Amino acid sequence: MSVSVVSYGVYLPYLRLKREEYISAWGSCSAEIKEKTVMDVDEDVLTMAVAAAKDALEHIEAEQVSVLALASTSFPYQEKVMAGTIMEALGLPSDVLATHHGHSTLAGTEALLTACSLLAQAGGKYALVVVSDAPSASTAQDIEHSLGAAACAFVLAKEEPGLVLEGAYGYVSEVMGVRYRQAGERGIRDIGVRSFAAQAYTRAVEAAVTGLLKKLECSSEAYRHVVLHYYDLRTTASLGKRLGFSEEQLKGGLVYERIGDTGACSTLLGLCQTMENISPGDRVLVCAYGAGSGSQAVGFVLEQEKPACKTPLSVLLEKKRYISYTHYLKLKGVI
Amino acid sequence: MGAHISIPMYQRAIPQRYRLVGQKCVKCGKVNFPPKAVCKYCLSSAEFAPVKLSGRGTVYSYTVIAGGGAPPEFAEIARCKGRYPVALVQLEEGPVIIAQLVDVPEEEEIFIGMPVEAVFRKIYEEEGVIRYGIKFRPA
Ligand SMILES: [Zn+2]
Repeated sequence: MSVSVVSYGVYLPYLRLKREEYISAWGSCSAEIKEKTVMDVDEDVLTMAVAAAKDALEHIEAEQVSVLALASTSFPYQEKVMAGTIMEALGLPSDVLATHHGHSTLAGTEALLTACSLLAQAGGKYALVVVSDAPSASTAQDIEHSLGAAACAFVLAKEEPGLVLEGAYGYVSEVMGVRYRQAGERGIRDIGVRSFAAQAYTRAVEAAVTGLLKKLECSSEAYRHVVLHYYDLRTTASLGKRLGFSEEQLKGGLVYERIGDTGACSTLLGLCQTMENISPGDRVLVCAYGAGSGSQAVGFVLEQEKPACKTPLSVLLEKKRYISYTHYLKLKGVI
Repeated sequence: MGAHISIPMYQRAIPQRYRLVGQKCVKCGKVNFPPKAVCKYCLSSAEFAPVKLSGRGTVYSYTVIAGGGAPPEFAEIARCKGRYPVALVQLEEGPVIIAQLVDVPEEEEIFIGMPVEAVFRKIYEEEGVIRYGIKFRPA
């Protein structure tokens, strides 16, 4: 049975913080961003999820959705069935088979792959995957500078033309202290040893990508677009090169610079970006990474029609209002 | 002056608060929102069919809530935003409802007749429970 993405939706909060705001407040900005998205005081992961999902469902009958997979590292509740909020806000049937994914930035691809499998079990026509994230950290930490917010949603269907999932390959290993948050803590932290963290990232992404290429019997040239979980400009670029991908293949899914680190959403937002420049027959490879660590590479091929999208990412990137760092601190509840 | 709404009471209105489910009068065909016991248009029918409103509408009138004017449940919004616009929105199905306006570039850019669309947002938090509902943004 083939499963394909038949439509998708993206949501970016309206507010943006520029790199310069960090420089004037702290003297420097530790993230390679030009600007990043910021949730307003009345937004959270679930409100962003609903916005992205609404767009993805624009031409889909909500009653026909039989699977709902929800992913975030930063849900507003640590315990609660949050699928209920999404189901009511969208008017999904109450017998929808729902799953929640969290605990690392791998949650997004986890949700996607789980929904694919569940769709085979479930009777209905569509699965809805909603990935929404807004990681947070103490504003006193360098790691905080990059943290943005966004959501994306995908409607999957059985045996329909669209972005067809060709295969997936996973990798896990034990890596301590890179990016983590203990139970009950609000913010992520790391032990701050960058070379160690970069090495763990490189090893994990390399394992999943090479594994997938081998499994699908594809060469690195087979892909029009390759979206690797973003670590930093240099590390990600040199890893891409090592895996045999060209700059041309890697640039189509780069969104970090204008949105920031969106956790579980990051690589899937990149996938959405590549949809704006894709033709039938093109292949896309996405590899998500989670510190701790693990990686999941997913291969797609576009068959016939592009997945439908109401408002593409390129349009949302221009809909914005800049805020000051002071306003940002108010939104974060610091002042 | 807060208008305390208990969780069970809020819960009962979830379809209306989360996705604007109204009621269409089977007798006169008009749409009631929020739902009523008796149709407010023909004043004679109590039979309705549920109908999901599109969320599209226009600003019928608006005001800006500033500083101390905010009810206590909106203190957090007032703290962050200083001022925030609230509008009467005429929905395309007819009903006029009151809601906050968000994602407005500048306060001065709001005008009567401005097209808006519904968005799902946090309304406020009380007893550690997030109350979600509908606001509007420029369409
Ligand atoms: Zn009536």
